[in-house]
Amino acid sequence: MLKKASFLIISATFWLTSCTNDPVNDLSDLESQVYITNRDKTADFKTFKTFSITDSVIVVQDERSTTALTSLDKDLLTRIITNMQNLGYTYVAADKKPDVGLSAARVTNTYVNIASTPYSSYWGGYYGGYGYGYPSYYAYQTSESYWSISMLDLKNADTVNKKLNVIWDAQIRGSGLGNTGYIDEMVDSIFGQSNYLKIK
Amino acid sequence: MKKYIIIALLFAGIIPAYAQEPAPKLYTLPSPFERYTHYQVTARYTGAIPLGSFSSNYIDKTSFENYSIALEWVLQNSFSIGGELGYSFFNKRIPRAIYPTTDGSDISAVQTRTLTQYPIQVFGNYRFLGNNSAIQPYVQVSAGASILDYTLYYGSLADQKRKVRPTYGIGLGSKFLFKKDGNFGADIRVKYEATPFDYEYVDKGVSSLNASIGLFYRWW
Repeated sequence: MLKKASFLIISATFWLTSCTNDPVNDLSDLESQVYITNRDKTADFKTFKTFSITDSVIVVQDERSTTALTSLDKDLLTRIITNMQNLGYTYVAADKKPDVGLSAARVTNTYVNIASTPYSSYWGGYYGGYGYGYPSYYAYQTSESYWSISMLDLKNADTVNKKLNVIWDAQIRGSGLGNTGYIDEMVDSIFGQSNYLKIK
Repeated sequence: MKKYIIIALLFAGIIPAYAQEPAPKLYTLPSPFERYTHYQVTARYTGAIPLGSFSSNYIDKTSFENYSIALEWVLQNSFSIGGELGYSFFNKRIPRAIYPTTDGSDISAVQTRTLTQYPIQVFGNYRFLGNNSAIQPYVQVSAGASILDYTLYYGSLADQKRKVRPTYGIGLGSKFLFKKDGNFGADIRVKYEATPFDYEYVDKGVSSLNASIGLFYRWW
């Protein structure tokens, strides 16, 4: 009798365990996307007037980084420019001493800590070998692909430590990140939730 | 010929004698379910209403994804004891919103809040009527442990916490036999269940009011 009872309990365990489901498999690509923004609380964005942006997108994979400019990348950079202009910033060429510099990266490796990511030296190059200074709170761990967009303070470069501070950072994660149809909504969203960037 | 007469006489004697004997009263004996301790297995389907801070802070939506199976030892007195293994799943979808975090970042996402529980409990029932009555109301107390899975999805990213926590409950129900002395019946139960748990949105445990309908089979 006891054996019979034990069998019932064991079968029930298997039956119940198999009930586990995926509660987010009904989300659309856009619904699955997560927009994370952060900023340097000490930065006063009203003191900035001009901006520029990298001429290509940084592709980070397995601790190596290269640059690329696909039509998807172009769409992303263009939309960033549009949003910055809408916030009141003036777009200038990179060699015209912009107050802030923006860069975008496609990160596709696993378990990357943003703070230690070997980012392109694009903006550092203009400043004679400056590195990027990410406050510790920018460090996110991930095991998936995502877009990362950063804003650097070029106006107040740390000349002693040769460091450019990241004053705003955004990540776009989820599904459909390579779909050109979603670029506008993705980029508009990260700027839309960062009202403090507005200078007009 | 003599043989036939003897046989005929035999029948003539036996048959009337047999007809006159009162039929054995088999059913005057109590049912084996009354005479012996016996076993009962019950499968339940449950609707669960979240209560307290679990409802106000995390998920307030009634769940209809709850099942359990119980094995019970029905004693000759008014008590029975047993074990119950369950599965319950609460979830709630919240449209896109911005969530500020303690590290200063803002997260914009569609939230899918879930809580899954696998409670394993021992229980004791006290019956108000006999264990072979057509209707058998009872009260139940139970205690055990739950494998608890708190998974809060931001879009497709998950914040998950798994823990084994104590679980307890108190309930009121009734069994209904489908036929007298039968093996099968229905079970209706209303039960309060609680599991202490503290993580993010759920800071004062998981509690719910569970209404279940079940089918049981009993044997001895």
